[in-house]
Amino acid sequence: MSTVKQISLTLNGEPKTFETTADETLVDLLRRHGYRGTKTGCYEGACGACTVILDGRAVYGCLLRAFQAHGRDVQTIEGAGSFDDPHPVQRALVDEGAVQCGFCTPGMVLSAKALLDETPHPGSDTIKEHMDGNLCRCTGYEKIRVAVEKVAASTAMP
Amino acid sequence: MKLCDFVIPADIDEARARLRELGDAAFPTAGGVSLHFLRFAEPKTAVDLTRLGLSGISRDNGRFTIGATTPVCDLQKHVAEGWVLDRVARRFVTQQIRNISTLGGNICRVFWWSDFPVALLALDASVAVRGESETVLSAEEFLARPLKLLKPGTLVVAIDIPAVESGAGFGYGKETRVGSSFSLATAAACVVVEGNRIKQARVAAGASLSMPQLLPAVGEKLAGETADREAIEKAVATGTEGLAWKGREGMSDPYAAELSRIIIADAITDAVAEART
Repeated sequence: MSTVKQISLTLNGEPKTFETTADETLVDLLRRHGYRGTKTGCYEGACGACTVILDGRAVYGCLLRAFQAHGRDVQTIEGAGSFDDPHPVQRALVDEGAVQCGFCTPGMVLSAKALLDETPHPGSDTIKEHMDGNLCRCTGYEKIRVAVEKVAASTAMP
Repeated sequence: MKLCDFVIPADIDEARARLRELGDAAFPTAGGVSLHFLRFAEPKTAVDLTRLGLSGISRDNGRFTIGATTPVCDLQKHVAEGWVLDRVARRFVTQQIRNISTLGGNICRVFWWSDFPVALLALDASVAVRGESETVLSAEEFLARPLKLLKPGTLVVAIDIPAVESGAGFGYGKETRVGSSFSLATAAACVVVEGNRIKQARVAAGASLSMPQLLPAVGEKLAGETADREAIEKAVATGTEGLAWKGREGMSDPYAAELSRIIIADAITDAVAEART
């Protein structure tokens, strides 16, 4: 039997408290509480659909246990932008036609956002390095790369 | 179910006390990535080691000290003269895993595909283990039996590596099916070159062997040799004779052996080139 314990974290800027067990992954906890923009794909740290930002760094929500987020800052796609006010990366992905089925897109957005928050104007190699953990089976990556490079080269990021 | 409970100690003393109390029922964890590859007969209690102040990289007297819970992304981004682990970190799985996986975790739970043990063996790293007192072991001693050395109540606190300075060079190579896959061959070399000759060399390899290991015979064959590709390939061929190569993911054993010899020779060649600059 798993012991149920409380964890506290900052989720998209708001303090939150959740009950969890040691075996629950962060993505399962988030989805259980309605944050379903974070997708579940491979569940083995390969596809990147479950990517969230933990203390400013992109991580796989399927490999991380929820308790590892205790006391930390978590950002999900719900905190990245909205339909009326999309994040610059979301806007660029749409503008470049870099979204087809959209399943990988939340993870792509958060990987790019984590990079651009830390390094607003990264070079092409750095972008490739930081996006290497997100798979897309629709677009062939080129349009995603172009979209992120455009944001990196623009003044949309501070 | 693998884990039945978790505790999050606030400092080293509390972590050690928890590990002692729990004994074999403890699962000390930092990034937690290895949990994905492990199976337990009985559920364990996770002991989160990420809040103990054991993360960071410092330099003193020509050596770098790396806190055990330093994530791989910090190794990837660290910039300093003589710092070489960024080359290993950059090719380590994916950014999301580099952001969470720690150096300590990579040497405490070693798998056949592990990359960092290979680099640390070549660099002649040392590992600081905290129990009732602090013990410093060579990477070779530690990696031979990491989990046996870590009795309940002990934990790795730091890894120490030399700065690779003038006259010395470091080379690292690996082969994977795709960039984020496990290594099929992984090798590292640290050499000192004088004039046109290799003065000394430490070479290690893994993935196509049962576990990462130092290849002392290759180092011995290289010592005093001309620092050119022909001599390097010859030393690798003769210095790896008799090793039990293991092909993975569809590779035959002889193919794995040949691939590994090329990767090892490439790592040595890169190290020699760096030593000459």
